[in-house]
Amino acid sequence: MSNRTLPRLLQTPAVILLLIWMLVPLSMTLYFSFIRYVLNNLRRPEWTTPSIENWRGFGNYNFVLNNQDFWLAVQNSLLIVCSILFLTVILGVLIAVLINKAFPGRSLVRVLLISPFFVMPAVNAVLWINMILDPVLGLQGLAVGGINAVIADLQNAPIIGPFFSLWPALEPISFRATQTSAYAVIIMVTWQWTPFAVLIFMTSLQSEDQQQKEAAILDGASAWSQFRFLTLPHLGRPIAIVVMIQAIFHLSLYAEIEIVSRGNGNKNLPYLIGEFANNNIGAASATGIFAVILANIVAIFLLRMIGKTLME
Amino acid sequence: MAIVAQNSKYGKAGRTILAWGVGLLFFFPIFWLVLTSFKTDADAVKPEFLFFFTPTLENYLNMTENYDYWRFATNSVITSVFATLFTLAVGIPCAYAMAFNPSRGTKDILMWMLSTKMLPAAAVLYPMTFLTKSMGLFDTHFLVIMVLSLINLPIVVWMLFTYFKEIPKEIIEAGQMDGVNTLGEIREILIPLAWGGIASTALLCFIFCWNEAYWTVRLTTTEAATLSKLIEGNRAPEGLFFGRLSAVSAAAVGPIVVLGWFCQKQLVQGLTFGAVK
Amino acid sequence: MGRIVLENVTKSFGETQVIPPLNLEIDDGEFAVFVGPSGCGKSTLLRLIAGLEDTTSGRILIDDADVTEVSPSKRGLSMVFQTYALYPHMTVRKNIAFPMRMAGLSEEEQEKRIMTAAESLNLVDYLDRKPGQLSGGQRQRVAIGRAIVRDPSAFLFDEPLSNLDAALRVGMRLEITEMHERMQTTMIYVTHDQVEAMTMANKIVVLRAGVIEQVGSPLELYRAPQNLFVAGFIGSPKMNLIDGPQAQKHGATTIGVRPEHIDVVESGGAWTGTVGVAEHLGSDTFFYVHGTGLAETLTVRAIGDVSLKHGDPIQLAPRATEIHRFDADGLRLP
Ligand SMILES: Nc1ncnc2c1ncn2[C@@H]1O[C@H](COP(=O)(O)OP(=O)(O)O)[C@@H](O)[C@H]1O
Ligand SMILES: [Mg+2]
Repeated sequence: MSNRTLPRLLQTPAVILLLIWMLVPLSMTLYFSFIRYVLNNLRRPEWTTPSIENWRGFGNYNFVLNNQDFWLAVQNSLLIVCSILFLTVILGVLIAVLINKAFPGRSLVRVLLISPFFVMPAVNAVLWINMILDPVLGLQGLAVGGINAVIADLQNAPIIGPFFSLWPALEPISFRATQTSAYAVIIMVTWQWTPFAVLIFMTSLQSEDQQQKEAAILDGASAWSQFRFLTLPHLGRPIAIVVMIQAIFHLSLYAEIEIVSRGNGNKNLPYLIGEFANNNIGAASATGIFAVILANIVAIFLLRMIGKTLME
Repeated sequence: MAIVAQNSKYGKAGRTILAWGVGLLFFFPIFWLVLTSFKTDADAVKPEFLFFFTPTLENYLNMTENYDYWRFATNSVITSVFATLFTLAVGIPCAYAMAFNPSRGTKDILMWMLSTKMLPAAAVLYPMTFLTKSMGLFDTHFLVIMVLSLINLPIVVWMLFTYFKEIPKEIIEAGQMDGVNTLGEIREILIPLAWGGIASTALLCFIFCWNEAYWTVRLTTTEAATLSKLIEGNRAPEGLFFGRLSAVSAAAVGPIVVLGWFCQKQLVQGLTFGAVK
Repeated sequence: MGRIVLENVTKSFGETQVIPPLNLEIDDGEFAVFVGPSGCGKSTLLRLIAGLEDTTSGRILIDDADVTEVSPSKRGLSMVFQTYALYPHMTVRKNIAFPMRMAGLSEEEQEKRIMTAAESLNLVDYLDRKPGQLSGGQRQRVAIGRAIVRDPSAFLFDEPLSNLDAALRVGMRLEITEMHERMQTTMIYVTHDQVEAMTMANKIVVLRAGVIEQVGSPLELYRAPQNLFVAGFIGSPKMNLIDGPQAQKHGATTIGVRPEHIDVVESGGAWTGTVGVAEHLGSDTFFYVHGTGLAETLTVRAIGDVSLKHGDPIQLAPRATEIHRFDADGLRLP
């Protein structure tokens, strides 16, 4: 106890700061979730100040649970996070294996590949939804328009025209509708995080046992079975880590959705909370508590995994 | 034998092309952003100028006029730098204590810290707005710095902890035997030894601060607004300002992307908490 | 001065008690060696003395001052670690200077002591290198240099030689012994190697599971091991332990005979068997004898080259005066 006390005390500032950061707002959220609390209500002005007199019990929770948007948001949250995890892991493994062996310009390709990871989410969303995916003016719209123009030209051409006359004009996809905007979010976040997965898998592949590989080649193992029985098991731990770290970041995914949906399209839980918070703080808080519970379910699962993976 | 050799030669060429293809594909959106930033707003939405156009610097030259870029950029720099410094100042002693003077609860504390990171920020959005407004902290640099520090503290402590754990405990103990006090251990031994790790942690923390787009958007209006807020506020130009929006976006992400290029290795190592070697 | 006394010291890690109440005195100028199998608590004991671990209960006195609550940096002891624990970011000179810098010695005094230490340890040519550029033996010398310059009241060594190769180990062993002869400062040396213990110590402390099994000079332990554990641990090759009827004949549960105390005779030996493996070293010959009916294998050491080989019958004569007798609890019988 004696001479270790001071060194141990050094962790208290961090712990206390985080404790305050976590507990104070969260307990307020908990409190608000049990009372009637709205920002504007002309008929019931007393609801606009938080007070225990406006106790509503589980009313806010009921309201949220019966709200169609809530279930849509839960569904969307899960769809978005799971799709991103799935895509980044698959793409990450494939690309990592592809660029693991030396080839001319490998380090440059690495630099190209990692770049999306450092793009700020706001720019990521603005870039994709406007400059690339916009159905009229984005690259998508321009490209589709260009192809249609070429087809139209060909249809009007002399001799070969009739051959093209039945070709349909292409329709650009709008990524601002309710469902498609989720795809836009998935595309942009996958673009941003695949590089991260690639880098981690590549680092791990470099430590793969080469002698084991050589032995397998001598045993006549095909490239596929080498991958299946040696490489993939070797990647187990890094895959777990990629899933875990991404889950930490994507559970609170917000900027992309905010920018893509512009208030009427796609929603995940954080977004829905933001929307409720424009007026109905009680409902926003109840939704927040649900989000915390959902995150905790994931967190417990993940932390178990981390505990095992990282603490030896 | 000859056939095998030829086969693998073609295989290698194919793989090289494929790998370059993938690399260019992933880089393309950034390239496109930069390319668009050199087009006039009018040219940016014309199919005939997709790749061939008269480049102009006008978008960059007018960034201040159009978006007040430098004010936001200054805020981003100030908040990210100070948040990083503060996080390290709190995180280094904490990680030091955990790595070299662990107690039974250390592991749980670390896990708990990380779990605060998973807490959906949106759940506490309203209380935070409410509290900061009533304390007069809303839209201040101080607030943004504190919030950025707190959201990055768990990751920073974790990263530092894994770096510090690589330092043999005996070296710190040798220091104790040689007569240094706790502060001396940190200053004379720990920091010089873990310098690389601390630098990559600081870098990653800085990048996360710079890119943060929830609190910086929600807890600021004008005074302390960062580049994330700027971009988010101009998110939907409906095709009118693609050129200038591209320029300001490129200016917002450019420094960070270049910074990332130089330290990708350290960043990966740090982010995986040293679990992937 | 460097008289170290442990009074009822205990140490627990969580629930597990690693050191049960333990008392020990180490006199000024003594070379004490803690020896015992791996995991028996030698390092823990040393680290308790150093102050790197907190005692769970009990007192530690250095020169009659209670230092139980004193931080390691204030106990005036120096420690040499198994892994050397040099500061990798500092040159050899800075490494050696570090404790003096922390103590606030003047630059000239530091330089003087660095040179003295470097000369006695053959490090003069390496002072401006970093530890990473040195061999294992040189690193060990730097660690010793760093320990010497602060003029401690006692040196603590935790298995300092176990990372060196065999030849270097013998050389460094001699150097450390010589250093002790020259300086006459208290040294506490931890090792699991009983040869190191026998060759270096004035006082050996044999530990098992945190308990002191016996304390004494090397020859005391060799001649009169207090129990079966010490008997088996001290001496190389190990003492032969025999129980059953043969032991009862001597009025004991177990008897022990060292391999060097069994003579190989032409005829009339008390014990007979067949040679399993014979190791011919020239100076000595070791026989591993089977089929004696006493123990699985008897180890026998014969002086010079004795030309028996695998499968040969062998007659053995234990020296009656050198038979150690132990009771049912494994304790030595007088
Ligand atoms: N920091 C620790 N926490 C828990 N148990 C420990 C710790 N250090 C040592 N032990 C345990 O104490 C016992 C003695 O360890 P040690 O003193 O290192 O043995 P030795 O040096 O004799 O090999 C071992 O069983 C070891 O597992
Ligand atoms: Mg040990």
